[in-house]
Amino acid sequence: MTRRWAWLFLLGAAACTEQATSPGVCPNFCPGGSIQVHDTIFTAIIERDSSFRGYAARSQGEGLAAADLPVVQSRPFFVLSTMITRLAPKSGDTTTVPISVDSARLRLSIVRRAKEATNLTLRLYLLPLTADSTSDFASLDPFFSAAAVDSVNVSDLLARPAIGDTATVRIWGDSIRTDSAGHILQIARSDSTLVVYFSLDTTQAPFSVPDSGRVAFGVRVTADSLASIRLGANESVTNGPVMRWFYHYTDRDSAMTVKADSALRAPRFDSFVFDPPNPPLDDTTLVVGGAPSARSLLRVAMPAFLHDSFDVVRATVILVPVAAVQAAPSDSFTILVRPVLTDLGAKSPLSPATEAFGRVVVHPGSSDTLRFELTDMVRSWAIDTTFATAFFLGQIPEAASFTEIRFYSSRVSAFRPALHVTYVKRFPFGEP
Amino acid sequence: MTAGRPGGRTAAVVMGLALLAPAVGPSGRLAAQDSQFGIRGLGTPGKWESVRSRSAGGAFAPFDAFSPLLDASLADVRRMSASVTSGTSWRTLDAGGAGASLRGTRFPALVIGGPLAGRVVIGGGFTTYLDRTFGIITHDTVDLRGTPQPITDEVSSDGAVTDLRLAAAVRLRPWLAVGAGFHLLTGSSRIIATRRFADTAYRTSSARDEVAYEGSGGSVSALLDLTRDLRIAGWLRSDTKLRADVNGRTAAESDLPLSYGAGAMWRVGGRAVVAGSVAWHSWAGAGPNAHDTFNWSFGTELGPVGSPLRLGIRGGQLAFGVGQTPTEVGYSAGLGRQFSGGRGRLDIGVERLQRKGTGLTERVWTFLLGLTVRP
Repeated sequence: MTRRWAWLFLLGAAACTEQATSPGVCPNFCPGGSIQVHDTIFTAIIERDSSFRGYAARSQGEGLAAADLPVVQSRPFFVLSTMITRLAPKSGDTTTVPISVDSARLRLSIVRRAKEATNLTLRLYLLPLTADSTSDFASLDPFFSAAAVDSVNVSDLLARPAIGDTATVRIWGDSIRTDSAGHILQIARSDSTLVVYFSLDTTQAPFSVPDSGRVAFGVRVTADSLASIRLGANESVTNGPVMRWFYHYTDRDSAMTVKADSALRAPRFDSFVFDPPNPPLDDTTLVVGGAPSARSLLRVAMPAFLHDSFDVVRATVILVPVAAVQAAPSDSFTILVRPVLTDLGAKSPLSPATEAFGRVVVHPGSSDTLRFELTDMVRSWAIDTTFATAFFLGQIPEAASFTEIRFYSSRVSAFRPALHVTYVKRFPFGEP
Repeated sequence: MTAGRPGGRTAAVVMGLALLAPAVGPSGRLAAQDSQFGIRGLGTPGKWESVRSRSAGGAFAPFDAFSPLLDASLADVRRMSASVTSGTSWRTLDAGGAGASLRGTRFPALVIGGPLAGRVVIGGGFTTYLDRTFGIITHDTVDLRGTPQPITDEVSSDGAVTDLRLAAAVRLRPWLAVGAGFHLLTGSSRIIATRRFADTAYRTSSARDEVAYEGSGGSVSALLDLTRDLRIAGWLRSDTKLRADVNGRTAAESDLPLSYGAGAMWRVGGRAVVAGSVAWHSWAGAGPNAHDTFNWSFGTELGPVGSPLRLGIRGGQLAFGVGQTPTEVGYSAGLGRQFSGGRGRLDIGVERLQRKGTGLTERVWTFLLGLTVRP
């Protein structure tokens, strides 16, 4: 009997699948309750907003702004680290011999530029070794007014054909573009970064033994228009300036052999100066960006009803700029919105929860209202009332540019920040 | 004696499996047969019938001890016995051109009964009182932030109101049995309401909660043998209000019906039995889309008792539906087979239902499988 009827059990087991969902024919054959969505702009719940400057100094950014625009001039500079002046010819030698520097090759990386710029030229200037974080545009301007030690027309190099023969690729790792003065240009494979090499002799890059080989350079950029670029800084790890010193020395062995070698040196300090400087902070505006970098803290008084019976499906912060950002179009930047872990004012620790971040790109020349999508952040506030309902606006990357944007603060009632929330009312469970 | 022992073990194992099957099944699967007509009401009322009864159109339910309709029929249970019912349905919907195919497996009834003392028999079990399992998907466009946004809403409910019955029956005279039962209505449904936006700037909103149901009822019934071959039955049941609680708060309270019915069974010779029954339910007070219902059924059981062939037809009305009272017509057939010397019985059946209401026609094929064991 068991075998005879076993197929019934198998059939029953096979049929144990569920498909209970069908297209609804509403309202006659749909549940009585419905999902209702509402949309509200809260104009007065962003309050106690403030701006603070000094989170990152100009020397701490991952980029160095260089610009020659009608509205601003910006000039990067850097001081190279000390270089060896003597060396031991053989490992284990206790006596050293002096080195004699023959030439140097300086590498600069252009990590951002206006592709429409023509005759984009970099000029290299020698600066005093005293250039540091206290230097400003005026104090360094005389040195930038002197004769340049070298210059390269990047636009011209870009227009030249790439050289990709075997020998070139073996030495440089990739194809290059070069000019008659020995400048080399490579285009990074990973992005659009331009890597420019300057070949400098000892008059252009003087090697001073008393200064332990330290040398300082400044960079100016010019172009027919849109002369605004960003050089990689030492803080970018891979795109900072690098000097390769070529030298020779005499091994005092029986044959007095002359040997050649080279050594790399990165900057011990790099920064940039610009004019005019960023205006001071004031109560009526919220400032984001600039150098040293400024951030703005906005606090949100969450309405109680958003905590209880509503599901936030979209939340947008609306900020009205005071004016358009004055810079080249290529100087667009990102504003990153990060929630705070706890509200301690300017020093509030920032949340590492990347899913709650919001961001928007600011385009110079546009004074349009900016909208930041902060849905995940506001949803987390609605779910967990222990979260601090405040967030910071910061520039990405910070302190790498003179560009900053100013928004009206909550003290300007007509243009104060607002929160636009779209939410779904709680479904009426239990009602037939 | 020697031959009976293996059969007894088989029956015990089968009974164990039968009892275990509903327990290990997914929760919320103790429902009967869902219907779109129940969505705008309290749910889809269950059929208080075993596979044997349902294969004969439900006509034998008043006389079948393992159909949880009448308490008095328990009086015929001579030994401790149990019966479980399962059904798998394939349902097609036709709503003015919009159609869908659905399927589901349910364990709508379990009955256990046995003699207590003397002529008193007690029994109990569960059956589906109201099925609350459904899922609805709708598409629409709403205006958000000044822009039309396509949306998709999905509301799904998984659960049922279960009737837990404790009943007793006694045969007062050889020709008269009476019974009474207490019914605890309990259960829950997990409801998930989800709205999805085509624009990914809007997050999906999903709310879920569990609605707990509670109610109670009582029933009385009697079986009267007019002749040796003719038996009639009558029953009355009254249920209180059904309370729906969400997080301990009463969200709704609905009146439950007064139900009553009658049936007659005629044994035609030794190899045929015919039966018919009628039932009324006063569901109209249960809500705006509820209706009083009248249902009838007629069926027959042909052939030997150990392996009968069953045929049946049923008709009537559905309790819930917008507009006119929906109607239901069904045809069914089935087979039964005793095994292990009569200690167990396997019943299979197939049922075809057609439900019609304002704007919707449902057609359902249901495969039924029932197991009754008497260890």
